[in-house]
Amino acid sequence: MFSETFLRMIYLGCFLLFFGLTHSIPSYPIWWSLAVGHQYSSLGSQPILCGSIPGLVPKQLRFCRNYVEIMPSVAEGVKIGIQECQHQFRGRRWNCTTINDKAIFGPVLDKATRESAFVHAIASAGVAFAVTRSCAEGSATICGCDTRHKGPPGEGWKWGGCSEDVEFGSMVSREFADARENRPDARSAMNRHNNEAGRTSLNDNMFLKCKCHGLSGSCEVKTCWWSQPDFRVIGDYMKDKYDSASEMVVEKHKESRGWVETLRPRYTFFKPPTERDLVYYESSPNFCEPNPETGSFGTRDRACNLTSHGIDGCDLLCCGRGHNTRTEKRKEKCHCIFHWCCYVSCQECVRVYDVHTCK
Amino acid sequence: MAGAIIENMSTKKLVIVGVILLLFQAFSFMVGGLIAPSPTTAVHYLATKCVDSVRHHQSNKWFMPWGPNQCDKIRDLEEAMSRKIEANNIVFAVHIPLPNKEMSPWFQFMLVILQFDIAFKMYNQIEDGAMATIDVGLAYRDDTLSEWTEMAHSIEQRKLSCNFTTSKTYENEGRYYECDLLPFMELGSVAHKYYLLNIRLPVSERKKVNVGIGEVKDIRLVGIHQNGGFTKVWFAMKTFLTPSILIIMVWYWRRITLMTRPPVLLEKVIFALGMCMTFINIPVEWFSVGFNWTWMLLFGDIRQGIFYAMLLSFWIIFCGEHLMDEMKRNHFSVYWKQVGPIVFGSFCLFIFDMCERCGLNTHRHTHTHTAVHGLFLTCCFSTRGVQLKNPFYSIWASDVGTELAMAFIIVAGICACLYFLFLCFMVFQVFRNISGKRSCLPAMTKARRLIYEGLIFRFKFLMLVTLTCAAMTVIFFIISQVNEGHWHWGDYTVQVNSAFFTGIYGMWNLYVFAIMFLYAPSHKRYGEQQSSGDAGASGEDVQLTTTITHVDGPTELYKMTGKEAQE
Repeated sequence: MFSETFLRMIYLGCFLLFFGLTHSIPSYPIWWSLAVGHQYSSLGSQPILCGSIPGLVPKQLRFCRNYVEIMPSVAEGVKIGIQECQHQFRGRRWNCTTINDKAIFGPVLDKATRESAFVHAIASAGVAFAVTRSCAEGSATICGCDTRHKGPPGEGWKWGGCSEDVEFGSMVSREFADARENRPDARSAMNRHNNEAGRTSLNDNMFLKCKCHGLSGSCEVKTCWWSQPDFRVIGDYMKDKYDSASEMVVEKHKESRGWVETLRPRYTFFKPPTERDLVYYESSPNFCEPNPETGSFGTRDRACNLTSHGIDGCDLLCCGRGHNTRTEKRKEKCHCIFHWCCYVSCQECVRVYDVHTCK
Repeated sequence: MAGAIIENMSTKKLVIVGVILLLFQAFSFMVGGLIAPSPTTAVHYLATKCVDSVRHHQSNKWFMPWGPNQCDKIRDLEEAMSRKIEANNIVFAVHIPLPNKEMSPWFQFMLVILQFDIAFKMYNQIEDGAMATIDVGLAYRDDTLSEWTEMAHSIEQRKLSCNFTTSKTYENEGRYYECDLLPFMELGSVAHKYYLLNIRLPVSERKKVNVGIGEVKDIRLVGIHQNGGFTKVWFAMKTFLTPSILIIMVWYWRRITLMTRPPVLLEKVIFALGMCMTFINIPVEWFSVGFNWTWMLLFGDIRQGIFYAMLLSFWIIFCGEHLMDEMKRNHFSVYWKQVGPIVFGSFCLFIFDMCERCGLNTHRHTHTHTAVHGLFLTCCFSTRGVQLKNPFYSIWASDVGTELAMAFIIVAGICACLYFLFLCFMVFQVFRNISGKRSCLPAMTKARRLIYEGLIFRFKFLMLVTLTCAAMTVIFFIISQVNEGHWHWGDYTVQVNSAFFTGIYGMWNLYVFAIMFLYAPSHKRYGEQQSSGDAGASGEDVQLTTTITHVDGPTELYKMTGKEAQE
């Protein structure tokens, strides 16, 4: 990453140009910037100013003002979504790089590609996940017990407990993340579908745990609850869905409110996508060469794995351009003794590595 | 016992009684299914990581995870690493319940289950047989402004049994282990509105405390309590059932005392069954709403256990009294072989329950002997009387305790198997004798035939009802177990679990009610008998009617048939 800042500047410039030309809402949510850079790091210390979050549509702004206490967990959710994306794509040509606070992923997600589908799904799953988590922590007061129960507040809880926080998490994700996807165009339809796919995947991967506590601990009385899986499990699942995403074509219908675009599977001989599957309708760039327009960084100078025959192997990752090899001495921590928290005693070792980078 | 109401009732009346009972049965299912909420609720709690910046070993300092006086939090342990916070200064704080809610005595009990989120790290894996040492404090308060009052403080050990399902490579670092749920805390009454748990995982390299427990990322708790609505419905049901069973008991005993002969064994056993049912019915739980009685759970278990033991004994004795062979029974001592396993099994479960529900620190005893001694003697009845002393105690937490608990359960299981073998054998014998008698029936005198027919009918009726009730219990149990998997998607309409509890409870009440009513001695019979039957057999019949156990065996029968053949 020798000329990272330089590249960034180019991309930012291109992005702004692009943005300025189209005069439309960008195809991916700018508010994701909550989860990157200084905006995120200041979350804990300062209260969130809804007006200062970029790219919120009025409905989201309203939501933010009403439920400002859960906004940190919304941001946290996007953050873990992005982190998971970067983990899942770490060895691939496109590795889910975030550029900076403003442009987040850059123009990559402007096109309705598989990558866009994945990022939307994992971000919306992340929001649902993080909100559920923060509900269990008690950091938000509006979770769980909804106002459906009649009577004074707290009576519903005393009578029959509360609904699961999981549903609340999904609800927040649906209300907030989908708020801007209400246009009649194909991209909105795609985002809606993929956002929902992310949440559905999260719900599908919930697992039931039970405890028996009847007479002498027998299962005469058994209480079960749904637990959220480790987010890595969701990441793995979504990655599978990315690999098997369905390609769609855009169809235009004339309806009373004007032209409406819907999506239809491109290939009728494949199974139509279910609500858990990701959909896209534009093909991805190959991400081999830097291209400011598509947002591709190219794979130059990316480290590759010489022994692997997969996508992270030098052949595929470098797109056949070959690779450079250099030896590097690295100081590493070794013979570490770990203590439960916060303290590791290590020795320092020097190891020699062969580092392969793409030409 | 001969000449029960059931034999002399017309079919029409019997059908009416049956329909009324069925209506009550349907009603008891509906009460649970439509009015009551689900029996229990599980609430997730994720511990907030607080920093104890100035630790002077002040025990009165409590850390609140949220609210006005919340603690200095850290988001994750990387932050702790960078801020150089020591393990002993990290406090996991959990407030029960969640914000804007309060606990209530109607919740009856609270179980808390502990779960660690442990991330896999190549060089910091969980060692085999790792024990987590948890320094935990529990406090309560009854309004949001007052100070916290300590309720319990303890240093507990829990064995981590975790496995890592994927391969242990660098690739999979950061994935979580799958760990078993750990029993953490049990409160026998929920007398206060707010509870606060402060948990520490102290590390001591020298004492090998919390070494090799892996990278604990988070502590999760699941709090389980009974729903207030369910408690109310349950109490209401008990309050309604108590007088019904009491009334029929009084009526039944009056009928027996009206007779000239002393009551036979079966009549006494039925009465005892009614007493046990009343014992379980009496809604003493009402007091738990007003008083902080922590032994309610144990008391409930004991009552339930006594009833089950009585019911099982009743079946054995009922079969035995209908055996129709030469043996003279009518004495409780005859049944020791069958009732013995029940009593012994119940006793084992009782001891186990005592130790499970009571706070006794077995793990402090190093020798098995002391532990056993402690378990048996000092269990509940310690200095403060029957008092839950350490809510964090769990019999499953220590190895000795686990072995003992398993031993008790296995012994109880063996007893149950023995019992069912005995019962099945007895039922088989009864049926064999019945088919034997059947062939001789036409040859008997009218009175004798009526007695045998009555016996057979009574037995078959009870068999049918009992089997139906048992089958219903099993079926609903299975439904409620299977249904658990779907309640997440299920809609609000029918609470199958609550319906199971109220329905089955109502069913066994109706069962006892029906037995007391239908098997009460009939007065009608005696009048009829004097006019029927020939003079030769009537003397014998009077003897027969007093107690079924004096029914003569086959020899007598052969004699009679022989006599009749001679005639």
